[in-house]
Amino acid sequence: MKKYVQKATALLTAVTMAASLTACGGDAAQAPADTPATDAASNEESATQTDAGTEEASTSSGDTASETTGDPFMKFAEPVEIHIGQQAYPTLKFPDGDTNEDNVYTRYLMDNFNIQVVVDWSAATGNDYTQKVNLCIASNTLPDGMQCGRKEMLAAAKSDLLYDFTELFPQYASPQVRAIMDSGDGSAYEYSMYNGKQVCTVGVDVAASGESMVNVRQDWLDELGLDAPETLDDIEEIARAFKENKPAGDATIPIAGPDKNNTCYTNFLQAGVSSCGFEPVFAAYDAYPGYWVKGDDGQVVYGTNTENSRKAFERLASWYKEGLIDPEMGVRDQADEQINAGNVGMYFCAWWKIGYGITDAYRNDPTANWQSYVVKSEDGKWNTREQCPVASYCIFNKNISEDVAKAGLIINNVWVRDENKLTTEYGANTSIYWYPLRNSMGALDECEVTYDALMQVLNGEKTAEDFNRGTDDAYKLLYNDCVTVTDCVKDYTAGSNELGIENFDVNNTNFPRLYSILAGVKPSALNRPDKSVYSACYSQTESMEAKWANLETAEKEMALRIITGKDDISAFDAFVEKWNNEGGSEITAEVQAQAE
Amino acid sequence: MKPKRHLKLQTHYFIMTLPGLLWLFFFSIVPLRGIVMAFENYNPGLGLWKSPFVGLENFKYLFSLGDAKRVIINTIIIAGSKIILNILVPLTFALLLNEVRNLKYKKLVQTAVYLPHFLSWVILASVLLNVFSLDGIVNQIMHLMGKESVIWFSESKYFRQLVIGTDVWKEFGFNAVIYLAALTGIDPTLYEAAAIDGCSRWKQILHITLPGIAGTIILMAVLGLGNALNAGFDQVFNLYNPMVYSTGDILDTWVYRIGLVNLQFSLATTAGLFKSVISFFMIVISYWAAYKFADYKIF
Amino acid sequence: MVRKKTLGSKMFTIFLYALLGLLALTCLYPIWYAFCLSISDKTAANSGLVTIMPVGFSTIAYREIMGDAKFFHSFWVSIQRTVLGTVFTMLVMIMMGYPLAKSKKEFKLRNIIMWLLMFCMVFNAGAIPWYMTMVSYRLIDKIWGLILCGSLPVFNLIIVMNFFRGIPSDLEEAARVDGAGPWRILFQIVVPCSVPVIATMVLFTSVGYWNEFFQGLVLSTSDKHYPLQTYIQQMVVNTQSAANMSPDELKLMSQLSNKSLDAAKVFIAMVPMLVIYPFIQKYFVTGMMVGAVKG
Repeated sequence: MKKYVQKATALLTAVTMAASLTACGGDAAQAPADTPATDAASNEESATQTDAGTEEASTSSGDTASETTGDPFMKFAEPVEIHIGQQAYPTLKFPDGDTNEDNVYTRYLMDNFNIQVVVDWSAATGNDYTQKVNLCIASNTLPDGMQCGRKEMLAAAKSDLLYDFTELFPQYASPQVRAIMDSGDGSAYEYSMYNGKQVCTVGVDVAASGESMVNVRQDWLDELGLDAPETLDDIEEIARAFKENKPAGDATIPIAGPDKNNTCYTNFLQAGVSSCGFEPVFAAYDAYPGYWVKGDDGQVVYGTNTENSRKAFERLASWYKEGLIDPEMGVRDQADEQINAGNVGMYFCAWWKIGYGITDAYRNDPTANWQSYVVKSEDGKWNTREQCPVASYCIFNKNISEDVAKAGLIINNVWVRDENKLTTEYGANTSIYWYPLRNSMGALDECEVTYDALMQVLNGEKTAEDFNRGTDDAYKLLYNDCVTVTDCVKDYTAGSNELGIENFDVNNTNFPRLYSILAGVKPSALNRPDKSVYSACYSQTESMEAKWANLETAEKEMALRIITGKDDISAFDAFVEKWNNEGGSEITAEVQAQAE
Repeated sequence: MKPKRHLKLQTHYFIMTLPGLLWLFFFSIVPLRGIVMAFENYNPGLGLWKSPFVGLENFKYLFSLGDAKRVIINTIIIAGSKIILNILVPLTFALLLNEVRNLKYKKLVQTAVYLPHFLSWVILASVLLNVFSLDGIVNQIMHLMGKESVIWFSESKYFRQLVIGTDVWKEFGFNAVIYLAALTGIDPTLYEAAAIDGCSRWKQILHITLPGIAGTIILMAVLGLGNALNAGFDQVFNLYNPMVYSTGDILDTWVYRIGLVNLQFSLATTAGLFKSVISFFMIVISYWAAYKFADYKIF
Repeated sequence: MVRKKTLGSKMFTIFLYALLGLLALTCLYPIWYAFCLSISDKTAANSGLVTIMPVGFSTIAYREIMGDAKFFHSFWVSIQRTVLGTVFTMLVMIMMGYPLAKSKKEFKLRNIIMWLLMFCMVFNAGAIPWYMTMVSYRLIDKIWGLILCGSLPVFNLIIVMNFFRGIPSDLEEAARVDGAGPWRILFQIVVPCSVPVIATMVLFTSVGYWNEFFQGLVLSTSDKHYPLQTYIQQMVVNTQSAANMSPDELKLMSQLSNKSLDAAKVFIAMVPMLVIYPFIQKYFVTGMMVGAVKG
């Protein structure tokens, strides 16, 4: 019975994937984002099936696994070596004696699964790592497995360098992993495919990471007797008040802007939102620059080139001119330095930044009460972009043995199941970033679900134990969050739903996560968007491969120059013309074809 | 007897060059096979020799790109200005330093001005970006003089000047060495005679010093030709940002981005090859010109 | 020599001394600035308050470096690379420079080799084929990889060669008459006569090895093997490209920023060059003059 159900599930998943692919034009070069309606329906079906399979499989996972069914947590009889390339984080140190090949995680994998992790090379995250990945692809010297971005994954897949997981993944991915893959519209599968084959494993990111909010110094607002912002007019007024009253002295920056490593907004190829970017300002004008927006008439347009974007650019330029936006935007090394130093009054970003991103701000000034709000349009609507659900990729060398490929999947399963145990019981001193081939997996609505649960616990409506749902649950951190929240939050008046920085113990190890959830997720948990905009495409089409890089550069330049007043708004029109002439219209046609 | 000994000497000479030649062969010539990438649509899975051959397609595509034109123009302007100023400024400096009679002071100044030459651009860039930032010392001085602050490295209209200026600043002290060397070669009795004739310092410079080192100046100018497309990767790479691409992006940084960031391996190689060919011609021309105008054999 | 001390002349002298002094100061500023930043208070440094004097005083940055084994390891890699690389390069250059200093008549291959050198100096196929070649030689993570990767420094070789040419040929002739072979002539006559150019080239070469960061990055498989400049580049300057980072990486990056620590590392990396070059400085003028000016 068990075998039957698992096989059926595997088959069904495969069929669903194949169906979704043919639905969007079979031999298209990339797995495109296709019509959500039909797809969501078929995936829901497969999700329920998977869940059924999950129950059965997990109860008997202790059995010796045979080759065909696959035990997602099997221990190899003989040690299996997996050679990886690893991102390094120069400032994150290991406890004494540990290395990136010998630490809590690798020992855990060795002891329990007989998987021996060998780090072939490591490089600092960011440019250095990307460069190393690209050199590996160019010289066809891929390690057994490594993390990479979508662009790199596609380049490697196109050159036929990648292992084909089409059969192995359904067998060896754990039910929990598949549950997360299926969360939302299940499009996570599409992103791991190239030409109908599953060529990589992917990390699914919580949807909240794609929604940008305005974060504001509530303590400054209170001091000046101002109300929380709702629309752009409010933000402008508050910024003006900050500029005039200078709560941080001459160094006051009313609104932070992107630093030199960030852009004014992310585009469809990037995961998440730009740190201190301006996505919500555009969205308030119903503009979605960097996204392929499908209009009501079915026509796809590039969001940057719209009249609404133009208006938003003009608005931002006027803010910059008035000194409301950081005059050094685009050139600063780190915008966060200014936030941490307590000089910034407002910035735009997704849920995580308020806690994870600017922990130093609270250490430097325990009264820095950052709070997060949605930004609404003039007519009171909350419009927002939604990101591609897949945020990270792991690719594997085509020539690895099946055992190594299984090991790769097991490493992923283990992380999703045991992250909590590993980080709290074993690896309190070892950063999660050192986990080999880490795909961060979170169910799409994890943030909002967690916020609701935490508030229920804080309000005494439920206890932490109510959220202890076992290891197959897609919300892998939920129980731990509920257990720890009562240590970190103090003096909270049950039922008030009002939490300020004064209610938190900023030195608690769980503070960054809990503050991110309780302050950062709050707006998206309490409001639902009036309009959610997905890009009609989150990957490169054929002609983009050659032409996109230049268009992208021109766009970044145009955006920065217009906002900072180096060029007036006519540069926008010139850009649109240039964009269309240098390949943009061709690309738009391809995206249009894909979307249909 | 004699021819045999001669031959033996040739062999010895050849053995002496052998380590260098082997080094050259294995580390410069062997990697050159990668140039074929410029003529194919390189696919790492197929390798260097089996990727589809496309002839001159990559070159055609390269020159059809608006960006390519832009970076070539930027490269020529930046490199050209550097060549000229890296002659004029060190020359002026050498002449001024030559007028200093206090030897201790002269030595002190010399030691200080050589210094930036020995620091890498990695290190200098981290300092310069701070110096020219909004709260950096340059803007503080501007502020004292009652001028508006400028965010220097984000202004495309200043970026080239800054790149050229900081490069000249980094190298002028060291480049002056060669002129100081040439100055020591001028016969001091000429100055004495001129002083007796009542020539001013200025006239001495004009009539004795400059003609005395004219050969060196011409030589330096000619040698600079070989660098006509070298605008300084390390420097620009560590200083630029997208806001100044329009004036600051140079051939080498662009090649780096399309190759190692955007994975367009063939296009990157094509652009690199273009640069190599032009540079090689420039060097041949400079070799010829140095011989013709300065009667100097570079090698 | 008679010098008239007119008012104009005095004014000029004052102006001259002041101008040169100012220039010298701008050249010293980067070092001073890095030093100030490194001993300043962390918050002051991060918010850009440090310009010409330290703000606050703290040795935390240096104490932190003292505990950073990787920093010292990189330092050691760089020392090894610089010393071995310089010795190796100098040997090759001296041995190659000597026969090339001969005329075409004396060494028939001379011109062919010279053009080959020029060709190799200009042509390269870019980073990817170069990396593939280094991989095929198994020179990844090897100290010799870091030394050989740079290829022969042709420009320096030409200067050495020109210097050798300037050595009076009578010296060599006399030795030859005494029965000395080319190797003895090179190492007993030519080399001792060429101290200025050799000293200058030792400095150039070691500066080159010391300051190089890109190849160190590509040829090392982990930060354990990085030379110092690569270490600094990735810790201090590495311009993160947000485009390639997932949100949780961005989260992490934003927590890491420490200007005073960075400055301390930069400052320490400057030190070896600052210590060496004043000693060799006295040879520059002679070394460069005979090597480059007189053909």
